[in-house]
Amino acid sequence: MDLSVLERVNWLQQQQMVSPDFFEILGSDGREELKRVESYLGNNNDEMQGFRHYETIDGCISRTSSFQMEQVKNNEENRVIALQPKRKTEGKTEKIENKKKKIKTEDETESSMKGKSNMSNSETSSEIQKRDYIHVRARRGEATDRHSLAERARREKLSKKMKCLQDIVPGCNKVTGKAGMLDEIINYVQSLQQQVEFLSMKLSVLNPELEFHINELSTKQFQACFTDLPEAVSKQPMMVDASSFPLQQHGSLDYSLINSNQTTILSSQKDQTSSSWEIHSQCLYNNLRTDSVSSFFSHK
Amino acid sequence: MASADKPINTDVPEKDVFALHFLQSLSNLRRQNAFNSPDDTTNNRVKKIKKAAYVSMARAAGGTNRLWSRALLRRAAKENNKVVIFSRRKKRVTWLRRSNRRDPVDAERLRNLLPGGGAMETSKLMEETAHYIKCLSMQVKVMQCLVDGLSAK
Repeated sequence: MDLSVLERVNWLQQQQMVSPDFFEILGSDGREELKRVESYLGNNNDEMQGFRHYETIDGCISRTSSFQMEQVKNNEENRVIALQPKRKTEGKTEKIENKKKKIKTEDETESSMKGKSNMSNSETSSEIQKRDYIHVRARRGEATDRHSLAERARREKLSKKMKCLQDIVPGCNKVTGKAGMLDEIINYVQSLQQQVEFLSMKLSVLNPELEFHINELSTKQFQACFTDLPEAVSKQPMMVDASSFPLQQHGSLDYSLINSNQTTILSSQKDQTSSSWEIHSQCLYNNLRTDSVSSFFSHK
Repeated sequence: MASADKPINTDVPEKDVFALHFLQSLSNLRRQNAFNSPDDTTNNRVKKIKKAAYVSMARAAGGTNRLWSRALLRRAAKENNKVVIFSRRKKRVTWLRRSNRRDPVDAERLRNLLPGGGAMETSKLMEETAHYIKCLSMQVKVMQCLVDGLSAK
């Protein structure tokens, strides 16, 4: 049976369970409010039908049980209609009314499709009263005390950050849920770290020819050439020039090439009074990428 | 409670900054004598390069502004028996808060992966992970370019 709110209240009154004070408290406009709310609820009737079978799930007050009127009390101050205390949601809705909170909440009326009950009477009335201070939207059936609200805010923050991560990590779109995404993220981080290790191995293989030649060089020589350059750039040509000396075959040619490269860097640097890091690194990059330079690095 | 969160900032500097720092640390490595000794096995060299890569990445990406970079630098300095002095941050590390709140979503594996992850709250962990992933991918790109440049003939 799908009673409307008003009908149910009337029925209650007939059963003399609800004191006539109830309507007094509501006032005449209260009735109007109830009607308005009821019409709003009635718009959801289609969804109501669909959800009818959900009424007994998750402890919501089912319609059948809503007719147990024996223990209905009407607390005039708090407008609580208490049913059997076993029901968890009842307890929660009691809390809603009983506690005076600084953060007022408003139940989402559309989630009332879970089951109409007598509690909706008291809730709708309390909704009407509390509409002035809306800070947080509490869903129906959830506790609205401070701790759980804080918990929920924290959880939302976390999910927001997970969404950020989802954009960064490729291939995260297919997986849903926190656990799966966490696994994806962990896999990605691990793969990146393995890549770093692999590349450093490669680098160590490619570079050994350079290293033992640095001892032969006197660092003073090079520092004298590049004193006006910032340190980073001066180091780089040292790295490059180190390879030139042991070369027997292409020695002079390469050295001249290196020199020309370095002179280009020098000239470009001297032209600019204030050179940013980006420009320096550009030169470094170009140095690395040009074939002429890279050929120095590989010895046969 | 329903406060507007600040936009999450996961900006990472350009590739060039990473490249610069990495090359700097590499050349530093080459200056050291230990690198040249013949008893240096491949493993040691690899480890040194790897450590240089991470340290340079930490310096390039966050310096001391990010938790993970601080933890990385501190760890590296400890291995070298150096003492690292960090400038005092405004917010204190939330040791106490974390011990009080045992999250059911215990991202323990992630904490183990991320440097300095053991001391963060879960939400902060996610932020740091995002930044760390970005920096790692940038570092990988830089190293790849370097390897390509070196190996190309």
